[in-house]
Amino acid sequence: MTVTTAAPRPRVSRGPALAHSPVLRLVVKRLLMAIPILLGVTALAFWVLSLIPGNAAQQLLGPEATPEQVHQLEQQLGLDKPGIVRYLDWLKGAVHGDFGKSLVSGQPVSELLPGRLAVTGELVFLAFFVSLAVAIPVALLAARRPNGVVDRLSMMIGTAGLSVANYVLALVLVLIFAVGLGWLPAIGYEPLSSGLWANLKTMILPSAAIGIPLFCFYGRFLRSDLVDQMQGEDYITTAQAKGLGPWQVLVRHAFRNSSFGLITVVGLNLGTLIGGTVIIEQIFALPGLGQLLLQSINTRDFVVVLAAVVIFAVVAVLANLIVDLLYAVLDPRIRYGSH
Amino acid sequence: MRQRIISQRICMALLLATSLVLTACGGDSGSGSSGNSSGKPVKGGSLTVLEDTAFAGSWPTGLDPATNTTGGANISMEQAIYGGLFLLRADDDGSNAKVEGNQAESGTLSDDGLTLTVKLRDGIKFSDGTPLDAQAVVDNWNRDLQAPCTCKPTWQLAPDGIKVVDPLTVSVTFTQPNAAVLASFPASNVNWIVSPTALQQMGEDAFKIKPVGAGPFIVQDNQLSSTLTLTRNPDYFKEGLPYLDKLTFQSIGGDQPAYQALQAGQAQAYEGMNTTPLIEQAQSNGNLTVTIQPATSPYNIQLNTKIAPFNDEKAREAIYRATDFDAIAKGLFKDKYPVSQSFTAPGGLFYPLEVKDYPEFDLDKAKQLVQELGGLTVNLGTISNYVAKQIITALQTQWEKAGIKVTTNDLQLSALVQQFQSGQWQAMLQTAGAWDPAAGVGVSFRYSSKSPFSGIADPDLDTLLAQAAGTTDMDKRKDLYTQANQLIADKRYSPFGLAFAPTNLAVQGVAGPGLTTQIPAILVNTGVIWDEVYRSNG
Repeated sequence: MTVTTAAPRPRVSRGPALAHSPVLRLVVKRLLMAIPILLGVTALAFWVLSLIPGNAAQQLLGPEATPEQVHQLEQQLGLDKPGIVRYLDWLKGAVHGDFGKSLVSGQPVSELLPGRLAVTGELVFLAFFVSLAVAIPVALLAARRPNGVVDRLSMMIGTAGLSVANYVLALVLVLIFAVGLGWLPAIGYEPLSSGLWANLKTMILPSAAIGIPLFCFYGRFLRSDLVDQMQGEDYITTAQAKGLGPWQVLVRHAFRNSSFGLITVVGLNLGTLIGGTVIIEQIFALPGLGQLLLQSINTRDFVVVLAAVVIFAVVAVLANLIVDLLYAVLDPRIRYGSH
Repeated sequence: MRQRIISQRICMALLLATSLVLTACGGDSGSGSSGNSSGKPVKGGSLTVLEDTAFAGSWPTGLDPATNTTGGANISMEQAIYGGLFLLRADDDGSNAKVEGNQAESGTLSDDGLTLTVKLRDGIKFSDGTPLDAQAVVDNWNRDLQAPCTCKPTWQLAPDGIKVVDPLTVSVTFTQPNAAVLASFPASNVNWIVSPTALQQMGEDAFKIKPVGAGPFIVQDNQLSSTLTLTRNPDYFKEGLPYLDKLTFQSIGGDQPAYQALQAGQAQAYEGMNTTPLIEQAQSNGNLTVTIQPATSPYNIQLNTKIAPFNDEKAREAIYRATDFDAIAKGLFKDKYPVSQSFTAPGGLFYPLEVKDYPEFDLDKAKQLVQELGGLTVNLGTISNYVAKQIITALQTQWEKAGIKVTTNDLQLSALVQQFQSGQWQAMLQTAGAWDPAAGVGVSFRYSSKSPFSGIADPDLDTLLAQAAGTTDMDKRKDLYTQANQLIADKRYSPFGLAFAPTNLAVQGVAGPGLTTQIPAILVNTGVIWDEVYRSNG
C-alpha cells in the first residue's frame, strides 16, 4: 500500500500579489508624489500672494485707512509676523488636519469649504457630464461621414462655441432663457435639499456656460482623431476586412483607440475648468469655491486661499490618477504591467 | 435634412434677434427718478436686493458694527438689522436733507460744539427682548471706537467722555468742537446698536454672522459676501413697520448680471449701478424705476504740489485750463451728472459754494502755459473702476491737445495707497467731500497737510478746514468752506469736475425712501430706509 501524501498547498498571500499589481503600484506612487506637489503649490501660492501689493488689513480697511489703522489691524490678524513664520504655522496646522480660521471672517476653514465645494463640484460635474454626453455622439456622427452635413454643422457650431468666451456665453444664455423666455433663473442657487428639479434649474445655465465650449472642443478633438484612425490605421482595415459594419468599426475599434486622447485632454482640462468656474460663479451668484477663492484673493486671506489651492491640487492629482487608471481599463497591456 | 438645418438657423436667428432686442439701448437722460413708483404702501411680501460684489455686496468680516471693516459699504444691511439711532432723510427730490432721530428721540450738540447729548426713545427692545437703553449705547460706543474700520468716528474724547446720564440719555464730551458729529452718524458704526446681551451670550465670532439688533428685520441666514436673508422683526418699535415680511440681500458680480437678474424677475432692486449705458437702458425700460441719487462728492484732480511739476503754480493752471469737464459730462455721461467747481455737489449740505474767477477751460491759455513751461509731462492715476477709467482717458485726450504729455494708470486699491504713501505721485483723479464736508473722512482727507492722501501742504487751508469742522453756526461754516474753496481755486490746487452719484433700480411695484426717492449719498451709496420700503404686488 502506497500512501501518498499530498504536497502542502502553498500559502496564499494576498499582500505580495497586490504589491506586484502595477495598478496598485501606480496608485501608491501617485499618492506619494502628491505630497511634494501639495507642498510646492501651497508654498508657491503663498509666495505669489505675498508679492501682490497690500495685505488683508489694507484690503479690508480700504483707501481711506490711515497707516495707524492698517497697523492696528495687521497686529490683530497676526500679519506683523514674517511671511515664512506665517506659512510654517499654517503648514503645521494643515498637516494635523487643521486648516486654520479665515483671517477675514474668523470662520474655521473646515466649516467654510465643504458647502462651497459641493456647489463647485456639482457645477463641474454637470458641465463635464453634459459636454461629454453630447460631444461623443456628435463626434461619432461627424466622423462617420467626414464633410457630411452633420460634420459641417458640428464644425460650424464648434467654431462658434470655441470663439465665444464663457462669460459672454453666460450673459447671452441668461438673456435668452431667463430674461427672454423666463424658463430658468438668472442667478442664485438652490441646494439639493430643496428638491432635484429646484437644484437643477439653478445649475443648468451655469453648467451650460461652461459645458458648451467644452462640448465644442471635445467634439472637434474626438472627431479629428476618429477620422485619422478610420483613414490610416491597419487595425481598421483588418476590422473592415473581417466584414464588420462601418458603425461597429467606428464605435468598437476606432472610438476605443481615440478615447485615450480624449481622456488625456479631459484630465488636463479639469484644472482649467475649476479656474473657469470663478467667473461663472460670480455671474450667476453661485456660492461656490471659485467665488470664495476670488473673494479671498481680493482680501488677501491667505489661509482660505491656501486651503482652496490644496483642494484644487488634490483634484488635479486625483484626476490624473483616474486618467491613468482608465488607461489600464482600456488597455490590458497596461493593466498587466507589460510595455 | 436641409429643411431641418434651415429651421435650426431660423431658430438661432430668432434667439439672437430676441437677445438684440432685449439689449437694445434707449435714451432718456437727466437725473432724478424715472419710471413710476408704486402707489400706497402695502404690508407683506418679500424683496431681493442685489448688491455689487465689488462694494456693498461684500461683507467678509460679518455685520457686527464693531468688527465689520467694510461698514461704510454695508450701510443698507446695517440699517435693516439695527435700524439706526439717526437717519438721513430728505424730500422725495432729495432737497431739505437732514439728519433726524430714529431710535434716538433727539441729538443735541452744545453751542461750543464740545458736548453731544443723545436722548433715546422709550420702550425700544432688541429682538432678543432686552432693552435698547443708555447703557447699551455706551457699551456699543466703547466697542465701536476700538473698531478697525474707517467707518468709526474720529471723536477726540475727553477723559471718561462717554457717560450714561439717565436710563435713556447718553452724553459725549469732546476735547475739540465737533460740528459735524450728528451729520456723521448715519454713515458711522456708532449709529448701529447691537444687543450687548446677545453679543455676550453668542460670542463675537458667532455674533458677527447672526447679529442681533433692534432694527426692522432679524437675521435668518447670513452667507458672508453672498446672501443675507432677513425676516420681519415682529416687535419693531415703529407701529405697522416694516412693510416687508422678508428682505434678502444678494451679492452679484457687477452691473450687467444685476440688470439681467432684475429683468428676469430674480430680484426686485439693485443699489449703486454706475455703468452709464445700462442706466440708459434701464431708463427706457418701462418696468423699472431708475433713481439717480443727488451727488455729494465730485471728482477732483489732485495735484501733488510737493514735487515737480505741480510745485509750480503755472503747471497747475495749465491743467485747469486744459480740462473741460463739461465736455466729459456731456460726451460720456449725457449730462446725467452735474459739474462742480467745489468740493461739494447739489446733494451736499453746503452746496453751492460760490467761487470767484474759477480758472475755467481755455485751450489757448493752456497751450501758452505749457509753452512757457517748456513742456509738461504728467502721470495721471486713478482707482480702477468703470467711471474713473473713462474720465482719465478723456482727460488724457484733452490734455494732449494742449501739448501736455500724459501717461495714465488705473490702479488697484493697494497700489493706489502705495502711490500716495510714497509721495511720488503727480496727479490723481479722486472724489472729494461728503454730504457734510467734515463728516466721515471728509474733505480734509484730500486737502489737509496731515493727510497721507493729500498733495497739499498749506497752513491757511488747514486752518480754514479745521475751523469749519469746529463751528456749530451753519452760516459761519458755509462761509469758512467758501473761503477754503476759493483758496483752492486761487492757488490752482485741484480742479473739480463731474459730481457722479450712484443709481438705484427697482422694479415696478417696489418703492421706498432712498430706493425710489432721492436722498443724498452719505458716503458712496444712499442710505435706504428699509423699514419703509414696500411692494404693492408682493
